[in-house]
Amino acid sequence: MARPHIEPFCDRDTGFKNMILPGFAGGMRYKMLSLDVDSGACSMTVQYDGGYRRAPGFSWSEMEMIVIEGELQVGDRTCRKGHYFFVPAGYALPEISTAQGCLVLVMYNTGEPSHEESTEHHPLAQVDLYHSVDSYMDLPWAMGNVTKPSVAAGCLIKLLNYNPISHAMTFLYCMTPGYYQDNISYHDCAEESYHLWGTSWMMQFGEVPTGGYFWRPAYINHGAFASEYGCIALGRTDSKLFNHFHYNPWSTPVENVERSAARLYKRDPLLYKWCLSKDHNHPHGPEDFEDTMQRRGDEQGHDTEHKSDGKTHDHWHGHHHHEPGSPHTHTHADGTTHSHD
Amino acid sequence: MTFKNLFIEHDLAPEVRQWLEEEIAEQEERFKLIEKEMQDLAPTREKWYQEFFDRITTIGFNVDGDDKMKISQADLPVKPEGREDRVVWKHGVDSD
Repeated sequence: MARPHIEPFCDRDTGFKNMILPGFAGGMRYKMLSLDVDSGACSMTVQYDGGYRRAPGFSWSEMEMIVIEGELQVGDRTCRKGHYFFVPAGYALPEISTAQGCLVLVMYNTGEPSHEESTEHHPLAQVDLYHSVDSYMDLPWAMGNVTKPSVAAGCLIKLLNYNPISHAMTFLYCMTPGYYQDNISYHDCAEESYHLWGTSWMMQFGEVPTGGYFWRPAYINHGAFASEYGCIALGRTDSKLFNHFHYNPWSTPVENVERSAARLYKRDPLLYKWCLSKDHNHPHGPEDFEDTMQRRGDEQGHDTEHKSDGKTHDHWHGHHHHEPGSPHTHTHADGTTHSHD
Repeated sequence: MTFKNLFIEHDLAPEVRQWLEEEIAEQEERFKLIEKEMQDLAPTREKWYQEFFDRITTIGFNVDGDDKMKISQADLPVKPEGREDRVVWKHGVDSD
């Protein structure tokens, strides 16, 4: 069931609630934007009140956050408006605090909000994936044509996070004043957006103002698009983003996914037929041999470094050793044997 | 839908389960309100659709980036008979 379609929603229309989950200190208030009813994954606008302080620790869920207003102290680093964090599950953040209070967009991707006090990372944490950046000051705007067909000029992005396996993305995007794009779009992925500032318009949903938000499941029509005075927003997709443009406002998600499949058939007919034949259309996908193939490992103490000097090489077969030019014997798979003197 | 990233197994305390149930119930109410507002917007949206058709037949349809193609009147879609104008789909392709 995952997250339902929440669009449009504006967090300015609701009040904050006190966070009562264990692990979070008092002074944290939130507005729920969307929630996965199966996993508890969610996106929230969070107000940390002045004087808020949370002990070092990690979440069981992967988490992303961006400072909307105010200053957030993360360890010895002062993070201001636009500072973005990608925090893998189990990654222990230092103490966070705020002297004057701050507003933060917080997204838990794989589970419910949680905070386990700890100064050490969980053993399973993929610590190398952690990164943070002042997205307003330290990243340039780039053209929005990260996929083709592309959005119209005037929609610019700053890529904040990219998953090379699923192609999921987190990015800032802006629309310049007077922006418009006359097509209807849908994607093969879910899409989420939070308006940090400004207003945009979509033909299905009307105006989305500052604090406006949507979580949109795959294959739902949106657009045409416009922004009279411009806007800046944080956007996310949960897998590869592809723009399926069209101009039929009455198509349904089922008709849209059928169109996507039809386009896949036209583009990759062999792959399409293979996926639909025999037992290949398993819902969790076929096996990727790169995930499951047997690998050499450490070869029980042998040198695994590839050599190119023509004299020494590493071994991964049933092997024997000899010096170059020395007498030795080979036994082949067909049982024949020969020797070199 | 999933981000296909790491989730670390752990137990949920009873108060966490209760919190989730309450949030899910509130989200259900939020969804109903959005769905109602979007149904109420349907007459205005009909005008927006017509304006969209006017623009893509005169100025052009954005095919890719700023590349535009004028759509002929004959190629404009016809609303299927009996189909309501619906823009909110609770579970996407798995909606009712």
